[in-house]
Amino acid sequence: MIDLLQTLGSGVLVGLVYALLGLCIVIIFKSSETFNFAIGEFLIIGSFLFYTLFFNETIPWYKALQLGAVIFLFFSFILFYDKNLRLRIALPLGMVTGFLIFCVFFFGLKLSSLITSSFLRFAIAFPLGLLAAGLFGAMVERVTIKPLLGRSPIAMTIVTLGLGFFLRACVQLIWGSHAYPFFLDLPDITVEVGDLLFLSDPIWAGIISLIIFGLVIAFLFRTRWGLAIRATSEDQAKAMAFGINARFILLLVWGISALCIAVAGIMISNFGALQVSMGFVGLRAIPVVLIGGMDSIGGAMAGGILVGICEALAGAYVEPLGLVGFKAVAPYLLLLIVLFIRPYGLFGTVRIERV
Amino acid sequence: MLTVENLRVVYHDVISVLNDVSLDVKAGEILIIIGANGAGKTTLLRTVSGMIDFYDGDIIEGDIKMEGVSIRGLDATDIMKRYGVTYVMEDRPIFWYLTIEENLKAASFSRWNKQIKTDMEKIYDYFPVLRPQQNKKAGYASGGEQQMLAIGMALMTRPKMLLLDEPSLGLAPLVTEELFDIIRQLNRSGITIVLVEQNAHAALNIGIRGYVFETGRIVLDGTAQEILENEDVKEFYLGSGERESKSYKDAKRYKRRKRWL
Ligand SMILES: Nc1ncnc2c1ncn2[C@@H]1O[C@H](COP(=O)(O)OP(=O)(O)OP(=O)(O)O)[C@@H](O)[C@H]1O
Ligand SMILES: [Mg+2]
Repeated sequence: MIDLLQTLGSGVLVGLVYALLGLCIVIIFKSSETFNFAIGEFLIIGSFLFYTLFFNETIPWYKALQLGAVIFLFFSFILFYDKNLRLRIALPLGMVTGFLIFCVFFFGLKLSSLITSSFLRFAIAFPLGLLAAGLFGAMVERVTIKPLLGRSPIAMTIVTLGLGFFLRACVQLIWGSHAYPFFLDLPDITVEVGDLLFLSDPIWAGIISLIIFGLVIAFLFRTRWGLAIRATSEDQAKAMAFGINARFILLLVWGISALCIAVAGIMISNFGALQVSMGFVGLRAIPVVLIGGMDSIGGAMAGGILVGICEALAGAYVEPLGLVGFKAVAPYLLLLIVLFIRPYGLFGTVRIERV
Repeated sequence: MLTVENLRVVYHDVISVLNDVSLDVKAGEILIIIGANGAGKTTLLRTVSGMIDFYDGDIIEGDIKMEGVSIRGLDATDIMKRYGVTYVMEDRPIFWYLTIEENLKAASFSRWNKQIKTDMEKIYDYFPVLRPQQNKKAGYASGGEQQMLAIGMALMTRPKMLLLDEPSLGLAPLVTEELFDIIRQLNRSGITIVLVEQNAHAALNIGIRGYVFETGRIVLDGTAQEILENEDVKEFYLGSGERESKSYKDAKRYKRRKRWL
């Protein structure tokens, strides 16, 4: 009995992280009908951005210079391309941003020498890293998705597939493919009740994921930007006709999505180490969203927790029987069963049928 | 107020839809545009409102001017914000999965400020049927209510000019009448209106001037009265011509005849 509770509890904690991954897929799917297959790469890049800020990790100057140059080119191109902002703004802004990026990557942020309290360090680096990840997501959207606005969603989905390979290669070029030790050193909040024991790291992961999930939902359902996002998700043309800048909304959605993926990535890295191959964890989002329903935010939560529990149960009860590796297969088995019963997932939208 | 000069629009680089269309809209009037299905009326409105990009269409010739300034190539949001042109798309452009209140709020996104609440009250005064249903999903409202909501949403953007695309589509005659009454009322309150309609008779009755479209061209223009009395229009749009039966051949001849104009 204790055993079961223990397993379920750990399953739920990991499930909350998966729910966050699912949410990232769902909001992008709702707003641009695209499945973001590059989610794994977003996850690694988000984690690496945070890693750079938090652990003062630096990279050689020639690599940092390239990154800076890319950022510079990006800003000057995008802003110049935009009819309203001219070269006068684009060039200096691109230069400043590119230079800042270069400095951060080459010199590091030196947070560790400035601030000794690791929690405070985390509190500073976390938002910064997320911001960077969000900006990165927005950047990717500008370059790959925006030109396809109004075209078939399949085209965008294929683009994200290619984007995934491209980004993975970039990460390997910049950071190599070895493992980086990842230890956040957050305050210990291990819970021990009777024979139950929940370690500090999974609890932190669960809590932070839940908070971010809640914040995103509050943003979507309580603010006017959220309203604009929901309107755009329903129909881009109608939204544009009523003065909502659908292109900017898409940018925002991709930014938010990348930010949440980074949170999940950081939390998952904290369980072990950070390396390129960790991107496969991102694909855990596929059973999550398919079980919950591709277009349901509540479904992402339910799907995440179900997948987490399913994994934990499989790990605790099936693997000892000699089926090593079953843990990774179990969510897909669950997915098959759910899809047999409800082809649109558990919480797929009830379509409004006019009578 | 708005002038369209020799406009030529193609979709997907090959499908030519508007050919050499020139027209002008005077401030404060109700302009009626009628024409058969596929004549390009919707395309014209999309082009004027800057949405044509989104449908992969291009202006390959001509210009659109607002008070003498070219607005060709501007984004839809820019055109709306700077010139107050709001396009109400055909077939009830509302957000089905948002509540009626949220719909109105979403439409006021481009000018969010403290006055939203009072403006919403005004909309509910215009369309009292909407008030009790504020929290209902818009998709469940009736067709008439949805069309009212669509116009209400357009009003939330504080337009100077409304481009209405077949607002009477699928509405009962009585509701249509009510709708046209409201349109006239809006016009009196100072909003210029461009009204595209299949319901030619009713529309021409509230209109001041009108254009008749035929396969991407303007074949007739004049005051609403003149158009109402035009024999060809009577035959083919109002269905009250003198001759009894109209064969397809006649229709062909009619078109050919009009090309002379
Ligand atoms: N997105 C599009 N891509 C390609 N062709 C299009 C597109 N939209 C419209 N067309 C074509 O352009 C022509 C004019 O269409 P449009 O919708 O402007 O006509 P309309 O006058 O509004 O007709 P209706 O009265 O039926 O609404 C049609 O032949 C149509 O097939
Ligand atoms: Mg039309």
